Amino acid sequence: MENQAFAIVVILSLILIGLLVARPSLTTARGGKILAFIAFFILPIAATGFGAYIHLEHSKSTQFCLSCHVMEPYGKSLYVDDPTYIPAGHFQNNRIPRERACFTCHTDYTMFGDVNAKIRGLRHLYVYYLKEIPPKLALYEPYKNRECLHCHAGARSFEEKSPHKEMRAQLTNNEMSCLTCHNTIHNVEHLNKTKMWKAPNA
Amino acid sequence: MNETTPRLHRKFKIAACLLGLGLLAEAATLHWSHPTSFLFFIGVGGFLVIVGMALYLLAIVSE
Repeated sequence: MENQAFAIVVILSLILIGLLVARPSLTTARGGKILAFIAFFILPIAATGFGAYIHLEHSKSTQFCLSCHVMEPYGKSLYVDDPTYIPAGHFQNNRIPRERACFTCHTDYTMFGDVNAKIRGLRHLYVYYLKEIPPKLALYEPYKNRECLHCHAGARSFEEKSPHKEMRAQLTNNEMSCLTCHNTIHNVEHLNKTKMWKAPNA
Repeated sequence: MNETTPRLHRKFKIAACLLGLGLLAEAATLHWSHPTSFLFFIGVGGFLVIVGMALYLLAIVSE
């Protein structure tokens, strides 16, 4: 839908710009001036806005995140055949949308969470091209329970299960991290020794 | 101003070229799913579009 809107706006803009350049006399009339303003100003802004939106949507896809070489092991870790691996368990059991696996867990569920995620993405690009990539990747700040509770809060399997029930307040207040107990995350260092799940349609 | 002056027309042509190239560059980046594509979108496409629009606005204001 957005792609079509972008294409329509770009094509329309190019046609109008071409027409006005080929026949400059059109811009002498009031209507022509308005048309020129639309072609040279309004439509390019609209096209750039649509394009930026499409890029932001693309950047939420798992394929996009894994297109960077350094992310490949993290992509592989989604296929570990061990349910104790938190990302793998979520990915393989459709607890998160597979096509947006990275974004679903690594965005901030706050008002400007998407924007923050994009700013972090730009920081990744800066490090990728202009700095030295650290041998061991780490999050910029500790993983917040808020991101887990965005989905798990209210779920019966979470709320009624011990010890979640007993420590619910601590989890909500981030006094105790979910990762204290659920501490097998991507573990990319051990991927070579781990059995992999082969998705049926992979 | 009843007729477009050659100077204004020349500015329109330059603005049109910049805008056309910028929009095509933006369109090209959408077919490339890689973080660098966003940089090209902003750095090349966005830059050309902004310069083209600025040139057009300057042209109509100065004439």
